[in-house]
Amino acid sequence: MTDQLTYPDVVNFAVPVFIALILIELTWIVLKRRGGRYETYDALTSLVMGAGNVASGILLGFVAYGFFMALWAITPLDLGTSVWVVILCFVLDDLRYYWVHRFGHRIRWVWASHVNHHSSQHYNLTTALRQTWTGTFTFMMLVRAPLILLGFHPAMVLFCGGLNLIYQFWIHTEAITRLPRWFEALMNTPSHHRVHHGRNARYLDANYAGVFIIWDKMFGTFVPEQDSEKVDYGLVRNLGTFNPIRVAFHEWVGIFRDVIQPGLTWRDRLNYCIKPPGWSHDGSRDTSETIKRKHLANHPEDANTPGFETLG
Amino acid sequence: MPLSILLPMVVLGIAGIAVLLHLLGLSKPATFDDGSAATRAWLREFPDDTPTRVILSHDRHAALVETSRGPGVVWPMGADTTARYLDGARITQTDTGLRIALPDYTAPRITLKLDPDEARLWPGLMEASR
Repeated sequence: MTDQLTYPDVVNFAVPVFIALILIELTWIVLKRRGGRYETYDALTSLVMGAGNVASGILLGFVAYGFFMALWAITPLDLGTSVWVVILCFVLDDLRYYWVHRFGHRIRWVWASHVNHHSSQHYNLTTALRQTWTGTFTFMMLVRAPLILLGFHPAMVLFCGGLNLIYQFWIHTEAITRLPRWFEALMNTPSHHRVHHGRNARYLDANYAGVFIIWDKMFGTFVPEQDSEKVDYGLVRNLGTFNPIRVAFHEWVGIFRDVIQPGLTWRDRLNYCIKPPGWSHDGSRDTSETIKRKHLANHPEDANTPGFETLG
Repeated sequence: MPLSILLPMVVLGIAGIAVLLHLLGLSKPATFDDGSAATRAWLREFPDDTPTRVILSHDRHAALVETSRGPGVVWPMGADTTARYLDGARITQTDTGLRIALPDYTAPRITLKLDPDEARLWPGLMEASR
């Protein structure tokens, strides 16, 4: 069994490329006066969140890696290191990403980690770097367990995850409108991912894909960007702070405050952790379903249009 | 990549981009064209609570909003805006306007730049509409 296997730390090596592409996008926007927006505090917050994500990986990465190596030690399977195995690993890891990302929007415990990525009201390449500091605490490394147990080496799985993350960098832009039809049909693109960052009722809980948009089409979560409805970026209730600590931890604090409320049953306390964001024991808050239903009540003409099909 | 290279690159990259954005004039706070723009900004955060009254600050960077649920403010978050109700707010007059402390981890402190007469008037309006 291959124990000693190393791949380049592709995300760290991509940092200078990230910086260069941000400067190119900024130059384009400033010169052309279109293709997106930049704002100093927003961009600074996103970049600090990105640096914090790298730091948390250095500090806490051993938890996931230790877990994966423990699984690797017990699995009897080893698929080897051929190019075809790496490609298969990349595709399956992207399927893993789809589900982790979907959980990240539908389970509040996981959303608490992911929410900061959606907390910018802008959508530019710095938004891509607005990443979590608390991913380890979501335990979503469990979703990678089947890959290791099937015989993909942990180093290969993490390498593919890094490539996945790098792919997703360039799609965080308004500078690219639409790409050729075949590409939009198969791959996640700036257009598809803009929808994912939308706070419009139509665009909530859509387009979870990392690299291949086909997963959303397969699992019924694909919503195409509508020329008639510009994407409004940010959270349903936007933050009133740029403080990176508050950006990183606000939903965890929210969960804690909800769970310790007096007079709740233990089921309610659990539900505040595992139900979708916006769930409340007394129904006083709005989930994405509630928001969509309220929108349809005010705009019945939108029934059965993209983003509202399942509610029509 | 060794930390001795990664760390300076990240720090210089972040600082460089921030300075560049500021020099390009991209640090200006959002401004409301009129009361309707402030109303739209409020409804963007609280679509179910239509304002009954909107008072725009003289510099048009913030607005005091009255609703049937109580008072609130809309204020700039960089080039964008956000809004909050004033439930549990502690309001302090400062040299440049008002400081509002909220029991809200996502918006703990709102700093409003107001004219001296606005800074004297607004706390009373906020209290009156509670």
